[in-house]
Amino acid sequence: MKIRAITLNNVRRFTDPAQVVGIGDGINVLSEPNEHGKSTLFDAIQALFFKPFGSRDKDVAALRPHAGGAPEVTVEVETDEGRFSIFKRWFQKPLATVHRSGTLIAQADEAEAWIAQLLGGDASGPSGLIWVRQGMTALTGGSGKEEKLALEARRDLMTSVGAEVEAMTGGRRMDKALAQCRDELAHYATATGRPRTGGPWKEAQDQVEELSAEHDHLASTARELHDALAERQRARRALAELEAPDVVEERRQKLEMTRAAHAAATRHAEEVETLARAMDLARLNAESATTRLDSYRAAEAEQKAALSEETRARQATDAARSALAERRTALEAAEVSAQEARTALQTAEDQRRRAQRAVAAREGADRRRALEARIKEAEEARRRMETAAAAARSGPDTAALQRLEALSAELSASRAARDATATQVIVHYASGSSGVIHGDDGPLADGTALPLPRSTTLRIDGIGSLEIHPAASGQEDGSVEAATAKLQTALDQIGAANLTEARAATAARAEAAARQGEAKAVLASLAPNGIYALHQELAAIPTPTTETDAPDIETAENALQAAQSHHEACRIIRETAAEALADAKADAARSDALLTSLTDRLQRAEAQQAKLGDVAEEDLATQTVTAAAALEAARLAHAEKAKDAPDAASLQAALTRAESVETQARDEIARLRPLLARLSERITRASGDAVEERLAETQEQLQAAEDKLARITHEVAVLTRLEAALQDARNEARERYFTPIVKELKPLLQLLWPDAELTWGEESLLPHALIRGGREEPIDVLSGGTQEQVALLVRLAFARMLARAGRIVPVILDDALVFTDDDRIERMFDALHRQAGDMQIIVLTCRQRAFRALGGQALRLQMVKE
Amino acid sequence: MTFRFIHASDLHIGRKFANIPQPPDGNIRGRLMEARHGAITKLAQAARDRGAAHVLLAGDTFDTATPSPAVVRQALTAMGEAPEVTWWILPGNHDNLRDAEPLWDVISRDAPTNLRALTDAAAIEMAEGITLLPCPVAYRAGASDPSAPLDHMQSPEGHLRIGLAHGGVTDFTESGDAIAPDRDRRAGLDYLALGDWHGRMAVSERVHYCGTPEQDRFKHGQRGVCLTVDIAGPGAIPKVEEIETGSFLWSEAELALHPRQDAAAALNALLPTTGRRDHLLRVTARGWAGLPDRADLARAAETCAPDFAHFDLVTDALATQYEAGDLDEIDRGGALRLAAEALVSEAESETLSQAERDVAADALARLHAYVQGAKT
Repeated sequence: MKIRAITLNNVRRFTDPAQVVGIGDGINVLSEPNEHGKSTLFDAIQALFFKPFGSRDKDVAALRPHAGGAPEVTVEVETDEGRFSIFKRWFQKPLATVHRSGTLIAQADEAEAWIAQLLGGDASGPSGLIWVRQGMTALTGGSGKEEKLALEARRDLMTSVGAEVEAMTGGRRMDKALAQCRDELAHYATATGRPRTGGPWKEAQDQVEELSAEHDHLASTARELHDALAERQRARRALAELEAPDVVEERRQKLEMTRAAHAAATRHAEEVETLARAMDLARLNAESATTRLDSYRAAEAEQKAALSEETRARQATDAARSALAERRTALEAAEVSAQEARTALQTAEDQRRRAQRAVAAREGADRRRALEARIKEAEEARRRMETAAAAARSGPDTAALQRLEALSAELSASRAARDATATQVIVHYASGSSGVIHGDDGPLADGTALPLPRSTTLRIDGIGSLEIHPAASGQEDGSVEAATAKLQTALDQIGAANLTEARAATAARAEAAARQGEAKAVLASLAPNGIYALHQELAAIPTPTTETDAPDIETAENALQAAQSHHEACRIIRETAAEALADAKADAARSDALLTSLTDRLQRAEAQQAKLGDVAEEDLATQTVTAAAALEAARLAHAEKAKDAPDAASLQAALTRAESVETQARDEIARLRPLLARLSERITRASGDAVEERLAETQEQLQAAEDKLARITHEVAVLTRLEAALQDARNEARERYFTPIVKELKPLLQLLWPDAELTWGEESLLPHALIRGGREEPIDVLSGGTQEQVALLVRLAFARMLARAGRIVPVILDDALVFTDDDRIERMFDALHRQAGDMQIIVLTCRQRAFRALGGQALRLQMVKE
Repeated sequence: MTFRFIHASDLHIGRKFANIPQPPDGNIRGRLMEARHGAITKLAQAARDRGAAHVLLAGDTFDTATPSPAVVRQALTAMGEAPEVTWWILPGNHDNLRDAEPLWDVISRDAPTNLRALTDAAAIEMAEGITLLPCPVAYRAGASDPSAPLDHMQSPEGHLRIGLAHGGVTDFTESGDAIAPDRDRRAGLDYLALGDWHGRMAVSERVHYCGTPEQDRFKHGQRGVCLTVDIAGPGAIPKVEEIETGSFLWSEAELALHPRQDAAAALNALLPTTGRRDHLLRVTARGWAGLPDRADLARAAETCAPDFAHFDLVTDALATQYEAGDLDEIDRGGALRLAAEALVSEAESETLSQAERDVAADALARLHAYVQGAKT
């Protein structure tokens, strides 16, 4: 259904018929200031569709004008079947009719039934969903009945595209199953899935733990018991072995035997030791005697050698000293001649310098003269260049002259133009009277046209004057004067009286510029680096000296060369002598040192000899032989004794072993006896406690407890899984239920908030929260603007769903955007346009300026012209 | 002259049965323990009834190596109260010589005169012309055939040779400690009385396990027995007779189910109608059952359990078959159906572990039960 026209009569302020026509598809905007009857229009449409013609309730009564009367509303609608005109009148002669192309097709109750059919066979209709009364910006609100109707309408709509929400979410049965499951789970576990304190799960866990601990304890006790039994058996066996009488006797005999053998070996060893010491003493004596003899012989030989060497060294030293003196004298002589040669060389050098200076002074005088002349010429050139440059800067340049020429041409042109259009007088004098007529510029020429651009008085000699006034529309516009003035100004600027003079000045300037160029070139050739450079060059030339007795340069050079070679020869002689002296010095020092050391050596040798005292070499040799014989005797005695010595080390080891065997046996017996007592005590005590019995029992209990815990753990897992399955299913079912509306809404929401979503209340079938950026905000805490935007978008989405269900219903919005700011309103307009494609949206607003941007079909509520 | 004696073993006196869950108001563990002690009286009675003067106990008379003094003293006293019978007691693996050294000390010190502890592997004349060849167990786990010494045990010419040993004939652990089944021939025995196996088993004509006189496990499915053995003379085939001594019957039953079967009825058909109080029964359900059948089965088991000394229904091997109808019983659509379908697919998933599948299957069964409960 689409509304095409609305006519009101006798409705509130419209006591005369008023109508809105030409309502099209898509968006229609009726934008009027307040008090122009928009809400009246809305209420009238509402009444036409939903108030039976027989109704007299307050809504219908509110439609009557103050003066009373029967409100009449006509709405023309277009459906798939064609175009119909629906009419209703209330109170007096109440009536409802439906016409099709002027033909009455239904009236009264039949008409009402037809309207109900049109609205989808539904008494309340979807108006609550999508018709928005002024000020009703939220989704909820209005009377309780309206809310209820709206809820039913939503439910019908959602159910028609999905299924019953109850059927979808499982309803009461689901609640009950979930509650039962959670109940049972709560028996075992806390909300976070941990075993609940005091619950059977926790209890089973504790029991398993307790029994494991007990089992471990008992197992370790049992193990200890077994270990003790095993140890006691071992200890008993060991003790019996140690204490057997034959074993004890054997140990004792063995010990005695080894002790005796060991004592004998010790004695023998002591005797060998004594002999060894005697042998050592004899060896020392023999060695000492040999040493003494050797020392004596060595000292004697040394003394002899030292003495002969010392004598030789003394002779060498004397020779070296005399050589040194000779060399020194030679060096002194060489130094004297070297000094003389140096003095001669200096004199020769002085002479040559003077000769050089004299030559330079002669050469410098010529260059100085030439350079001075050149400077003078250059300065002259510079003066000329500067004069020409000054001249070249005065007078007009070529550009100025061109401009003057142009101005002059312009003046001629304007003068010619003026004269061409001006009144002209041509005199043809009678013979003899030529020149009697005078203009301003003198007598007029015969036969020549005189233009008269302005009133002119011509004086005629002897007759008087003739005034001529040319016609007003002549060319006297002052252009000639202007051109003259411009030319004069230009001439004044360059200081010329007239154009000819200016031309001459320009030529003079050009000529001066040429002169300047020439002078500049001359200057550049004379002083390429400037005159200052020339002055510097001049200053560099030495002033001539007044030396007169300077020697000839060649003689001086020759003298110098001779002096140099002599000096060099003397120098070499001196150096050679110095080197020879140094060598001699070194030789002398070496000889001295050698002599000193040999003297020392001789002294030492003599002292050594003195130390040996007054003994003869023969005595020493005899002593040596005697000592050697004594050593040999001692060695033989020791070897004889040592040959048949018993093995003391192995006898000692045997003894040690025998003793340790005995000690060990005693220690072991001492250890085993109390150990046995302790073990027996421990075994008696443990077996009295029936450890094994309790262990077996505990093990079985533990097994049972573990089985129980496993069952409970499984049960908890089952309940947890079931709860999750139920919860997931319910969420999924809810999601499925709301899928159609969410799908319609999604593109609309995204116009305003790119990734926003709405969550839906199961009971209200309305959005209850807006999720933006992952944050959930309940609808009722959103700002008024946001709330009304959400509400409007949801209505548009419902309208779209209706349309998809084959029930196109116009969306009528009576000032539905109250709080929305300018930016959002643009996007809301986009949303409206998006939805308007195949639907009809009628917007009633008083916000004329804001809604101008909405576009769409503009509507007018206007009086019907009779 | 025929020689007659009683062969018994594995009394396991002192066993506590902590693995049997104790019902809140029951005393089943106490009764089971008491029955073990009572076996002594039953054996003495059997000997008297059959006119046998000797009872051979082939090991594990006591359950642990260190039974409590009361257990030991009461057992000894009970044996002493049958003075016309001589008890020959062999150490087994539970009461082996090393671990139970104090126990055997106590027995040799405090035992009544008609009790003989066989702690030495040496031939002993138990009656005129009868030589007993005992093989006491020295360690809990030995590494050799405990009956091997029999080959070298001498007996006077013309005597009956009766062997007494404790251990398995099948080498389960491959440790080499199994008893050779032909030991009787190798050692020239007239009879080899064995213990350790709790069920009755005849290994050969001359080699027998008597089993425990009072059962303690589900395995054997028969009340405990002892044997009377008659031997007419050296080389004669012994005549062996079982005498029932057990008070409690331990048994296992298998319940094979298939879908659309009345599982509860099947269970009830399987159960014995009498003697339930002295019956420990474990029923293992196998095959397939629908969701409602499982619920019925669980209810039936709960109902009958208190009748028995112990009743256990094991459903680990019972798979659940889901049918469209089962899910419809939960809901035909909507969230409950979604939840149920999610659980079914998880229970039948091939990628999840068995434990996860079991959790999902049980969760589904629970949901079914909730919804059914809500309807009624």
